[in-house]
Amino acid sequence: MERKPSAVLIVALILWTFGVAGTVILPLFDQEINSATASGELRNYAEDSAEARGREVYVQNGCQTCHTQFVRALPADTNQNLGPVSKGGDYKYDLPHLLGSNRTGPDLMWVGLKYNEDWQRQHLIDPQSTSPGTIMPSFDYLSNQELDDLVAYLMSLKPTQERLEEYKNEMNEAESMDHN
Amino acid sequence: MFTDEKWSSSKNWFIAAVFWIIIGMSMGLLTATKQIWPELLNNRWTTYGHVRSAHVMLVIYAWLSMAYVGSMFYMIPKLSKTRVYSEKLGNFALVFYNIVILEGFFALLFSQTEVIEYGEFPLWVDVQLLVAIGLVAYNLFKTVGRRQEKMLYVSLWYFLGSLLWLPLTWIVGNFPAQWIPSGVQQGLMGWFLGHNAIGLWMTTVGVGQIYYLLPKLTGRPLYSHQLSMIGFWAIATFYVWNGPHHLMNGPIPGWISKAGVIPSIVLLIPVWDVLANFWGTMKGSWSQTRSSVPLRFTVAGTIFYLFACLQGPLQALPSVSSVIKFTHWTVGHAHMGPFGAFSFTSFAALYYILPKIVGREMFSKRAMEAHFWFSTVGFLVFAFSLWIAGVVQGFAWIEGVPFLQTVLMMEPYVQGRAIGGTMMYVAQFFLAWNMYKTIKLAKLEKKQQAQQQAATA
Repeated sequence: MERKPSAVLIVALILWTFGVAGTVILPLFDQEINSATASGELRNYAEDSAEARGREVYVQNGCQTCHTQFVRALPADTNQNLGPVSKGGDYKYDLPHLLGSNRTGPDLMWVGLKYNEDWQRQHLIDPQSTSPGTIMPSFDYLSNQELDDLVAYLMSLKPTQERLEEYKNEMNEAESMDHN
Repeated sequence: MFTDEKWSSSKNWFIAAVFWIIIGMSMGLLTATKQIWPELLNNRWTTYGHVRSAHVMLVIYAWLSMAYVGSMFYMIPKLSKTRVYSEKLGNFALVFYNIVILEGFFALLFSQTEVIEYGEFPLWVDVQLLVAIGLVAYNLFKTVGRRQEKMLYVSLWYFLGSLLWLPLTWIVGNFPAQWIPSGVQQGLMGWFLGHNAIGLWMTTVGVGQIYYLLPKLTGRPLYSHQLSMIGFWAIATFYVWNGPHHLMNGPIPGWISKAGVIPSIVLLIPVWDVLANFWGTMKGSWSQTRSSVPLRFTVAGTIFYLFACLQGPLQALPSVSSVIKFTHWTVGHAHMGPFGAFSFTSFAALYYILPKIVGREMFSKRAMEAHFWFSTVGFLVFAFSLWIAGVVQGFAWIEGVPFLQTVLMMEPYVQGRAIGGTMMYVAQFFLAWNMYKTIKLAKLEKKQQAQQQAATA
C-alpha cells in the first residue's frame, strides 16, 4: 500500500463510507426523529402563511447565529426556564433546521409562551427599550410586512397545551422532591 | 491566457489566500466588535448574522483552503519528484474558485444562506465550489499518477485522503433541505460536514503539511514511519464519526449520541500518536525555533493542535458539554484548530515555499517575527478571554441567573476577545506586506540579472 495511491484511496473511501452509514444513513430509520410530535405538527406551516414567511425572515437575517432552538434536560436549561425539553419529532418540519450552536442571545424554542406580540415587535425595532444593555442589534430596517411575519413566526413557537401541562407537572414534582 | 510557468499555481494560490485572510478576518473582527457596539454597521446587508457567517466561510474555504491548495501544488510534485500535471489548469481552477468564493460572500451579505454551519453558501454556489475542488483534486491526483518516486511519503497519504474526503463530505452536508425527511436528520448531515470539514480536510491537510515541513526545516528524518501510518489510519477510521456530538444532550436518540461521542474520545489515540511523532522528530532541534520563524510557527501549531485535541474529547463528555455548550467557550475552541494550529502551519508553509519559488528569501525577518508574536499573543488573549467567559457563563446559566444579566457579565471578556482579535488581525498585515515586497523584489532582481547577462554577453 505504501506504493499504491489507489489502494490508499480505496481504503480511505471505505472508512469514510462506514462513518456515513453510522451517523447519516442509519438515523434515517429511526422513528424518534422522523415522525412528528404534536408540537412538531404545529410547526408545519401552510405555504405562504405569515408564519412560513416569518421563518424566512428569521433565516435571512441570521437570527440562528445567536439564538438556539434546542432545550436540553440539563440544569443549565431547566434553571433558565426554557420550557419542555425538545424531542427529535419537534423538528420534523424544521427544514433547514434552526437548532443553532451558540447562545449569544437566549434560546427561542418556545419563545411564543413568553411575550406578547407588542413586546416582540417593540423588541425587534428597539431592543434597548425592552431589554436595557442587550447586545441584540435593532431590526428597524425590516419592512412592516417583514416585522409582522417575523412576529407571527416567533409567536407560533409554542408547545401544545398537553405538552405544557405535562412539563409543568414534572417541574412541580421535581420541586417537591427538592423540598423533601 | 493562463500561465504555464513552473510553480505558478502554488504561488498564485498563496497570494489569493493571503488576500482572503485579510478580508475574512476583518469580518471576524467586525463580528467581535458588534458584540460590544451592536448598532455598528447594522443594516440589511451587514447585520450581525451575515457578517458572522461570512467570516466563518471565508476563513475556512477562502483563506485556509487556498493556502492548503497552494501548499499541495508545491509539496505533492516535490514528494512525487515530478512537475505539476498542469499549471495552466491549476491557475484556471484558482480563478474559478475565487469567483465562486466571491459569489458565496455576496450571497451571504444578500441574505441567501443554507443555515448549515461551515456550509452556509446557497446551493447554486455549493455546486460550483464542488466543481472547483474537483478540478484541484483531479490535477493533483494526476500529478501523483506521474510520480517518479515510488514510495508514498506520509504527507501524500494525508493529501490524497483529504482531496477525496472533502468533495464527498461537501455533498453530504449540502444536500438540499427539501429532500431530507426531518430537521434532526438534516442536523446530523450538516454536522457531518461541519465536523469533517475540520477533521477530514483542515486537520488532515494540516498534519500532512507538518509531516513535510518538520524534516525539511530541522534537517532531520521523520521520527517513526510506523507511527505515521498508525496515526493516519486511526484518524481516517474515527474522525468521520464525530458529527453527532454537536447534538449531544439534545433531540437525538441515545445510540446516535454514543456513536458520535465514543469515537470523539478515541481520537486521543491518533492525536497522541501524531504528536509523539512530531516531537520525536524535533528531538535535538528545539533550539532552532529561536532563529527559524517557519519552524517556530510549525511547532507552535503542533502545540495548539495538542490543546485543541485535548479540549475536543473532553468537550465530548456529556457532563462537560452540559456546562460549556452554547457558551463563548465553544467559540474559543473553534478558533484553536483553524487559527492556532493550521493557520500557523500554513504560515510556516508559505514562509518555506515562497522563497523557493521566487528564488529569494523573505524580504523582512523582522516582519516575520512581528507576524509570529502578534498572532500568538493575540490568539492567547483572544482564546483565554473566551474560555474564561464560557465557564463563567455556563455556571451562571446553571445557577439560574437571568439571561440578560449573564450577557452583561460577559462584557469585559468580550472586550478582551476583541483586543486579542485586533492583534491577530494586525499580524496578518505583516504577512501581506512581507509577501508583496518579497515577490516584487524577486521580480526586480531577476530583471536586473537578465540585463546584466545581456550586457556581458
